[in-house]
Amino acid sequence: MSKSVRSPIGIVWRKELKDAIRDKRSVMAAMSYAFFGPLLMAVAFYVMISQLTDPSDVEIDIKGAEHAPALIEYLQQQGIVEREKAWPAGQQPIELVIGESWADDIAKAQPAPITLTADFSATKQRSDIRRIEKAIEGYGSKLSFIRMQMRGLDPRVVQPIDLVKHDTATKGSRSAILMGSVLIFILLSVFFSGMNVAIDISAGERERNSLELLLSQPLSSHQLVLGKAFAASCFAMFGGILSVVLIPLIFRFLPLHDIGISVAIEWPMMLLMVLMLAPLALFATALQLFVSFRAKSFKEAQTYISFLLMLPMLAVFGVEFARLKNPVLYYLPLTGQHQALLDIIKGEALQWLPLVVSGVVTAIVSLLIIRVIGRMLASEKVVFGL
Amino acid sequence: MIQVTELRKQFGKVTALDGLTFTAPEGQITGLLGPNGAGKTTCLRTIYGLLKADSGQALIDGIDASKQPLEARRNIGIFPDKFGLYERLTAREQVAYFAALHGLEKDAGQAAVQEALERLDMLAIADRKATGFSQGQRMKVALAQAIVHRPKHLILDEPSRGLDVMSTRILRDLLRELRSQGTSILFSSHVMQEVAALCDQVVVVAKGKVAAQGTTDELCQLTGESALEEAFVKIIGTDEGIAA
Repeated sequence: MSKSVRSPIGIVWRKELKDAIRDKRSVMAAMSYAFFGPLLMAVAFYVMISQLTDPSDVEIDIKGAEHAPALIEYLQQQGIVEREKAWPAGQQPIELVIGESWADDIAKAQPAPITLTADFSATKQRSDIRRIEKAIEGYGSKLSFIRMQMRGLDPRVVQPIDLVKHDTATKGSRSAILMGSVLIFILLSVFFSGMNVAIDISAGERERNSLELLLSQPLSSHQLVLGKAFAASCFAMFGGILSVVLIPLIFRFLPLHDIGISVAIEWPMMLLMVLMLAPLALFATALQLFVSFRAKSFKEAQTYISFLLMLPMLAVFGVEFARLKNPVLYYLPLTGQHQALLDIIKGEALQWLPLVVSGVVTAIVSLLIIRVIGRMLASEKVVFGL
Repeated sequence: MIQVTELRKQFGKVTALDGLTFTAPEGQITGLLGPNGAGKTTCLRTIYGLLKADSGQALIDGIDASKQPLEARRNIGIFPDKFGLYERLTAREQVAYFAALHGLEKDAGQAAVQEALERLDMLAIADRKATGFSQGQRMKVALAQAIVHRPKHLILDEPSRGLDVMSTRILRDLLRELRSQGTSILFSSHVMQEVAALCDQVVVVAKGKVAAQGTTDELCQLTGESALEEAFVKIIGTDEGIAA
């Protein structure tokens, strides 16, 4: 026998990696998530930004325009014009009706009725409606100014308070909301990218009937699972690194400054993010191997794993939307990385201790799961499905 | 030498092994002959430690695979009941994987793989990926995996399934050659001709027990029949599940 016997873990790892790289489906799966996830986000943001910064005219139906030519002119200056085209299907018309008594009421200094009819719950039209309301309010205060002055009063008497708004939101913190959703993509990328490989080397091994022979070789089932887990983690990391590199790159091409958001992630931060993802990749793989080693076929494993994918999503979205602020979250697997990533994005000071602790905890939990799988594979009940 | 003593194994209410005892000595081919469901595969799996016997023990050169699985497995080559290939690896890579798991790497590994491939006359397919291999070719890869580390013991579960005439001859020549080198070979089969043609010793298994044991001639004498097939039927008391 050879003198320098390498650990069987390395042999398994190398073989599984070679096998997986040749599997176009696995490589595509790992890449496509990392590519299309951020790309999808970019498109969504692009649409959002162009809606938010839309400078075009608001076209609405106006009835009774002839009664108030001065108002119409004012509205036109504010970019609110009469609509000539028909409303597109599925969109509620916005209609402004000026009463016949308009000129009379204005002359007698009575409140002049004007009716705005619209679907106030339509998100798409919300900014349009807001603009119309603002324009009409603006016209109203213009009129009251004139009336006050004509009566020899200082218009400021009806403006007892001057609310000065100081927006303390930094560009970084404003972007945190946006980047929070991007983070979910980065975190989930390690769950998605290694998934196919994890299934193939566990349930796939069983399905192609190679598991029995492999378990009869002179290596412990624990070593076997470790080798396999490292191979699948490599794929998970490949996807993770791709998304960490791609997401800031894609955001560079978005006109984020138009909505007052700046996203700048420097290289050292990206490196840190990748380091944080490493134990998470092992964690994701360990969980996936755990469920799919119990499945008898590739398809069965896919079903289980799609349920498993809900877990990180629930954890991340749950924390995000419930606005949980428990310090324990900083130390747990998945949520720990999530919090640290959030801090990085917000440009806040990093809490190094929780960061390191959560990394170590994640790695330990993963190795424990791997140990359980190893024990599972030593059991004839699991191996032969007895 | 493989020694099986009083092996018992229960799956729920089914008794798979019921006090099975036999030995497969060095330099001999021992055939485990029995109808389907007699407990042949269960017995072999217990020997290499994948199943745990309820009682009794199976020793490979004195090592119990249920207690020291890794030590026991280092000395055996296994051709299992079900074998699957890694479709994206070439025949050479698959065999090399198993050689590496047995500690044969780099130059030693390459030489061992080359030798196994030559012995099974598979150089023509050595560097092709396993996708599209015929049943016979797959069988050869599995055989190469079993013998690449030159084990002292070879355990084969129905090795001649799906083999054509030429491949069967290669298999038989290989087994005879390994026998002459002192390997103890244990193989299960339900194919009579195979056992008659190859085995030095036949262990007839039925319902998890040894029904009879001896050379082909001894079994025939024992039952007073001239052909092994008739002897076999007489021993197990039925011709169910047996192929001529």
